[in-house]
Amino acid sequence: MHTKVTLFVQCLVDSIYPRVGEAMVEVLRRLKVPLEYPADQTCCGQPAFNAGYTREARAAARRFVRIFESAEAIVCPSGSCVQMVRHHYPELFVDESIDYRMRVKAVGNRCYEFSEYLTEVLGVVNIGASFPAKVTYHDSCHLLRGLGIGEQPRKLLRHVEGLQLVEMDDSDVCCGFGGTFSVNYPEISTAMVDAKIDNIVATGADYVTGCDVSCLMNIEGRLSRRNLGVKVIHIAEILASRGGHEDE
Amino acid sequence: MDEKGAFLAPIRKALGYPQEEVRTAGECRRLFDCGDEGDIVDRIKYRTHVEKQSLLKRMTENAAPLNLGVHPASSLAAAADLISDIVRAASPEFSDTRQIIQHDVDDIASLQLWKKFAGKAVTVHTTYQADMAVREKAIASYVGITAPRWAIADSATIVEITGAGRPRSTSLLPSVHIALLRIEHLLAELGEVYALLRRTPPQESFLFISGPSKTADIEAHMVHGAHGPREMHLVVIDERMTADTSYQGSGLFPAE
Amino acid sequence: MKMSEAEKIAYRRDARRGIDDECLQGGLQRIQNHFGKGAMRYWGEMADDGLRDRVKHSRMETLENLDVVLAMLADNIEEAGGHVYYARTAEDATDYCRRVAKKNEVSSVIKGKSMISAEIGLDAALEAEGIAVTETDLGEFVIQLAEDKPSHIIAPCIHLDRQRIGRLFQEKLDIPYSDEPPVLTQAARRALRKIMLEADMGITGCNFAVAETGKISLVSNEGNIRMSTTMPRIHLALMGIERTAATMSDHQGMLQLLTRGATLQKLSTYVSFVGGPRRPGDPDGPEEFHLVMIDNGRSRILADQEFREVLACIRCGACLNICPVYGKIGGHAYNSPYPGPIGAVVSPLLFGINRYADLCKGESLCGACLDVCPVKIDLPRLLLALRRKLAYGDPAWQTRKHKRTEAMVFRLWRALIASGPLYRLALRCAGILQKPFISETGMIKKMAGPASAWTRDRDLPPLASEPFSGRWKKKYRQAAAKGPSEVDNG
Repeated sequence: MHTKVTLFVQCLVDSIYPRVGEAMVEVLRRLKVPLEYPADQTCCGQPAFNAGYTREARAAARRFVRIFESAEAIVCPSGSCVQMVRHHYPELFVDESIDYRMRVKAVGNRCYEFSEYLTEVLGVVNIGASFPAKVTYHDSCHLLRGLGIGEQPRKLLRHVEGLQLVEMDDSDVCCGFGGTFSVNYPEISTAMVDAKIDNIVATGADYVTGCDVSCLMNIEGRLSRRNLGVKVIHIAEILASRGGHEDE
Repeated sequence: MDEKGAFLAPIRKALGYPQEEVRTAGECRRLFDCGDEGDIVDRIKYRTHVEKQSLLKRMTENAAPLNLGVHPASSLAAAADLISDIVRAASPEFSDTRQIIQHDVDDIASLQLWKKFAGKAVTVHTTYQADMAVREKAIASYVGITAPRWAIADSATIVEITGAGRPRSTSLLPSVHIALLRIEHLLAELGEVYALLRRTPPQESFLFISGPSKTADIEAHMVHGAHGPREMHLVVIDERMTADTSYQGSGLFPAE
Repeated sequence: MKMSEAEKIAYRRDARRGIDDECLQGGLQRIQNHFGKGAMRYWGEMADDGLRDRVKHSRMETLENLDVVLAMLADNIEEAGGHVYYARTAEDATDYCRRVAKKNEVSSVIKGKSMISAEIGLDAALEAEGIAVTETDLGEFVIQLAEDKPSHIIAPCIHLDRQRIGRLFQEKLDIPYSDEPPVLTQAARRALRKIMLEADMGITGCNFAVAETGKISLVSNEGNIRMSTTMPRIHLALMGIERTAATMSDHQGMLQLLTRGATLQKLSTYVSFVGGPRRPGDPDGPEEFHLVMIDNGRSRILADQEFREVLACIRCGACLNICPVYGKIGGHAYNSPYPGPIGAVVSPLLFGINRYADLCKGESLCGACLDVCPVKIDLPRLLLALRRKLAYGDPAWQTRKHKRTEAMVFRLWRALIASGPLYRLALRCAGILQKPFISETGMIKKMAGPASAWTRDRDLPPLASEPFSGRWKKKYRQAAAKGPSEVDNG
C-alpha cells in the first residue's frame, strides 16, 4: 500500500487550470495512491515572497505548515511552489525557535513536485499513458535550477505511448513570467516569452508541456495573442491521457 | 589617527571589530597559510627530461589555438637559425628601418644574432642596463627577443620577470615577440609557477604572456595584433633532442 | 557618470530601446550563445570541480579580514616606493587623481578599461582640468569616439556592429571606410600607439591586488593595459577595496575563474603584476606609482551580513552572458557602470536602493546567474533581499517604501489567503467580474487596471467556472481516501 498523498494544489491550478489538478488525481489514483485534499489550502505565499513582502509570505507559510504538517507526503503539480516550501520557508523562519524551524524543514522535506514524486518516490516511469503527438518540453526555472528536476519529466514523457519528444533550443531559458515581473515589466517579459515561443515553434511540435502552470500560462497567453497553433498542456494532463479513449 | 587608520576604522567596524584597535596578520593566520607547497616544488625538481619533452608537446598543442608558434631547437645555434628566419620573414610595421631588440641575458647573447644579419641592414639592439635610449630603441624595433623565466605547458604561457637588463617593453612594443626558453624551465601548469613565485617572491614586476595580443571587441571577431605584438614565437632549446623525440613544432609562420 | 543625484533611473524606457535595437540584439545573441553557454559547459567539464567553492571560501574569508589584508597591501606597496591613497568617497578619489595629474603637469592620460573609474566619474573630472583622456581598450575607444556608454563589462561595444564602427572610424580617424574587424583593429592600433607612447600618465583599474606580495594584477588580451602601466611617467591604479586577495595562492584561483568565466580562456593573453615605481636599474616602468583604494559605499555593504557576499564578485561578466533579461535589454538600461545581474545588485547598494528600485525588481529570478557565477554568488537571494528593503523601507539603508499601492495589494492578499472561505468567495466574485472580458476564443484579451499590463501583449486564460476545490468535493472526495480506485482496469 502506498503512502497517502496530500494534494497541494497551486492556486493557479485551483482557480484557472483545475483540469491539471484533476489529471494529477487521475494519475495518482491509477497508481493506487490514496489521496487527500485539505480544502482549506489557499496559496503558499510565493507571489509575496518574490515581490519582497516577507511578512505577508510568512503568514501564508505559517498557514501552510499548519494545514500540511500532518501529511505524510505532499505532492504539487508546480515546481516553483515546491521550491518555495522546500527552500524558502526555512529562510522565512530563521528567527523562530529551533523547534519550529525543524517543523518547517520537515514539511519541506515531505513536499514533492509531481513528476519527482512519480519517478523518485513511487519509482514509476511508465504510467500507461498514450498521447500520440509531437511534444516539446519547457524547463521551468525553479524546477530545474532550484530543485534539480529536468530528467525526471523527460523520462516520463519518453514512456508515453505515441508521444514524440522533441527538444527545443534553450529549453532551460526563462520564459519571462517571473510573477509580478511580468506585470511590472511587460515589455521585457514579452521579449523573453517571444524568444521562448520562437524556439517552441521551430521544433514543429503540436504541444508544449512543462511542470509549472505559471510558465505555461505565460506561454499560452502569448501564443494565443500571436495566433499560433501550438497547444499548451501540463505534464499531468499528458500522463492522464489514454489517447482517444479517456476514462470519463 | 592617520589617513590609513581613518580609512580602515569603518572597515573594522563593518566586520564587528573595535574601530580603534589595529589588527595584525597574526590574528588571521589561517588566511595567509597556504601550506608549504613542497610537493609541487618536488614534482618540478624531480621531473625527468622525457617528461619535459612530453610537456613541450603539450605546450605546442595548446599554443596553436592562441596563434603562438612553438619551435624546438637542439642547440643555441639551431635556435639562432630559427630566430633569424623569423626576423627575416617579418617586416617592420611602424618604421622603415629593420631594427630588433633583445634582452641582455647570456643565452640570447650567445645566439650572436648580429652575425646572422651582418650586411643585411638589420640592427640588433641589446637592452644593456647602462643604455639610456632603451625606450627609443624598443619603439623603433619590429622584433623583440626575451628570455622568460619559465613557461607553462597547460596554458601555453611564458612567465617574464622583468627588471634590469630585461625591460617590459621588449615583449610589448615590437610587432613580433620571440621568447627563448630552455626546456629545463618548462612547467606543467599554472599552480607550479605560483608555487615557485611564492618561494622566491620577486621584488620586480612579472607577467604572464599567452600568445600575441588580440581583441574580439568588434562583433566578437578575433583579431591578433591589438596593442601588443601581432605575432609571437617561443623557441625552446632541448639539447637532448633526438630524431626519436619527433616534436611536431608549429609551422614557422602560423596562419593569421 | 556620478551617482549622487537621487533621480530614478529610466529602466523601462531604456529597456524598450534596447529591445527595439536590432544591432544590439545581434550582439547580445552572439555573446550569450558563445560565452554564456560556454561558461556553463566549462563548469560542467572542469576537472577541478572544487575550485569554485574553494575560491568562494577564500573570497569570503578575505572579506572577513579586509582590514588586515588592506593594511598589508598598503604597507608592501609603500615599501616598494609606491604611494597609497585612501579614498572614502568618489570625490576623494577624483580629487586625488586630479592633484597627482596637476602636480606632475600631466596633459595626456591613457586609460585601461576600468569600471570604477566610471563609478567615480573620473574622465569628466580630468577633462575639466583640460587633460586629454584616451580610453585604450578597443571597445572603450570605440565607445569614447562614439560619445556613447559601455553596455557590457568585458565587451563594452557589443551594441555596435562593424558597419557602425566602420563609419565611426571613417569619420573620426579619417580612414577609408571598412567594416572588416582586422582593418578596423589595425586602424585603432595605429591611432592609439602614438597616444600611448606620448601619454604622461596611465590610469588603470585593478583586477586583483595581492596583499602578501604588494602587487596589483591586471588582466588583458589587447596589451593596452601593459602600455598604460609601462610607458607613461606615472601609473595610477584605482581599486575598490574588495578587489584584494590575501595570498598568491588565493590569487591563482581567482585568476583562473576570472579568465574562464569572462572569455572561456585558461589565461588571458597578459596578466601583469606591478606594485611600485621603477627600481634603480630598471630600464622601464613608471617613475611614480599610485594605488587609490576606494571605499565609496563598500564598507557599508561589508557591514551588512545579508549583502556582504556580493563583494566576492570577481567581475568576470559571466552573469551578463547568461541572464535572459540582460540578453533582451542590453547594458544601457541599467544606467550604471555595472550592468546585468551583478549590476542589479551592486548598483542599488552603491548608488541608492530607491533610485535603482527598478533594477531590484526588474528580473524574473530565474537563477541562471547563480549557476554561471564562478564564485556562486546567490544573486537571486540578494535581489530578494533588496526587494524586501523596498517593500518595507529600511532606515539603515536610507530606503523608503517603494510603492504604497503594491504594499496595500499584498496586505489585502494576505487577508484573503488567510481564510479558505474568504479566498473562495473572492475567486467566485472575480469569476463573475471577468465575464465581460472573455472573448469569443475563450481567452481574456483585455483587462482593466494594473492587470492590463498582462494583456498588453498576452491573452489571459479565464478563471475556471468551478475551481479544483469544488471539483474535488464533487467527484473525488468520497473515493480517494479509500485509495485504489475502480477506474484502473485498463
